[in-house]
Amino acid sequence: MIDRHRTPAAAAPPLSVLVVDDSRVMRAMIIRTLRLCGLPLGTVHEAADGLAGLGILETEPITLALVDINMPKLSGLDMLARLGRPAAGPVVIVVSSDGSDARASQVLEMGHGFLHKPFAPEDLRDAVLRALGIPDDDR
Amino acid sequence: MATARLTGERIVGVGAMCVSNAPGDRLVAHALGSCLGVAVFDPVARVGGLLHVPLPSSVDDRDRSRGRPLEYVDTAVPALFRDCYKLGATKGRLRVAVAGGASAGDASADGFQIGKRNLIMLRKLLWKNGVLIHAHDVGGERVWRTISLDVASGRVWLKMPDREGEL
Repeated sequence: MIDRHRTPAAAAPPLSVLVVDDSRVMRAMIIRTLRLCGLPLGTVHEAADGLAGLGILETEPITLALVDINMPKLSGLDMLARLGRPAAGPVVIVVSSDGSDARASQVLEMGHGFLHKPFAPEDLRDAVLRALGIPDDDR
Repeated sequence: MATARLTGERIVGVGAMCVSNAPGDRLVAHALGSCLGVAVFDPVARVGGLLHVPLPSSVDDRDRSRGRPLEYVDTAVPALFRDCYKLGATKGRLRVAVAGGASAGDASADGFQIGKRNLIMLRKLLWKNGVLIHAHDVGGERVWRTISLDVASGRVWLKMPDREGEL
């Protein structure tokens, strides 16, 4: 069924997004895909390591964070552990090339979404919609 | 545009496409193997199109590809979108569904990997133009798929030897 044109999500408050990945190309791909999803995007922050990402998470009202694991200075999982689970914390999707079941389970147990690299843009879209609880036909 | 007409069913042959805004039309591409069936639908303009394309790149086959733009993914997909625009569709609203791109068998039997290359070309082209695929059923070995688009509803149906359902 491709008759999907309702856009209630567009009326929702814009998402404040953080993308943490040490690859500039990967950050650009993630951000481009988010823009193509038709989601209401507000400010989009980028960080190239976990320490910089933590600084943004502690100071900005981030609502959606896409986080790599293996990064310099501070890994994505250590960054999330240091952040803890604030009451109004962001929806987090961990995006990693480590696609082992153990890693995926660890991330899911932490209460985050998980997406294995490499991924098609559509996989990222689906993961984001799922994490935000937006039905595919409600964009 | 090589299509046959039979009581609202418009058969889209290999290297052909059909674009319609007639609610009674159902566009069908049969027996997709390594070929791609690319269905697009604009739910506001109520315009739909279906392409049945066999080969990935016109650049690899310049002499033959002249005058046969619908036989190559890189030239056929833009043509499909352009014809939909002529009937009032817009890129931002078009929903894309894809089927096909199977391999002919194991690596030794499918040295050219046409199905895989078709899919890579399509993904590359859509990504470059800011379009995401909405639904797909692709790949596999020796899989034969029939895809159809109901212009009235925008529903895309997939039929295979072992299963059938909405894509």
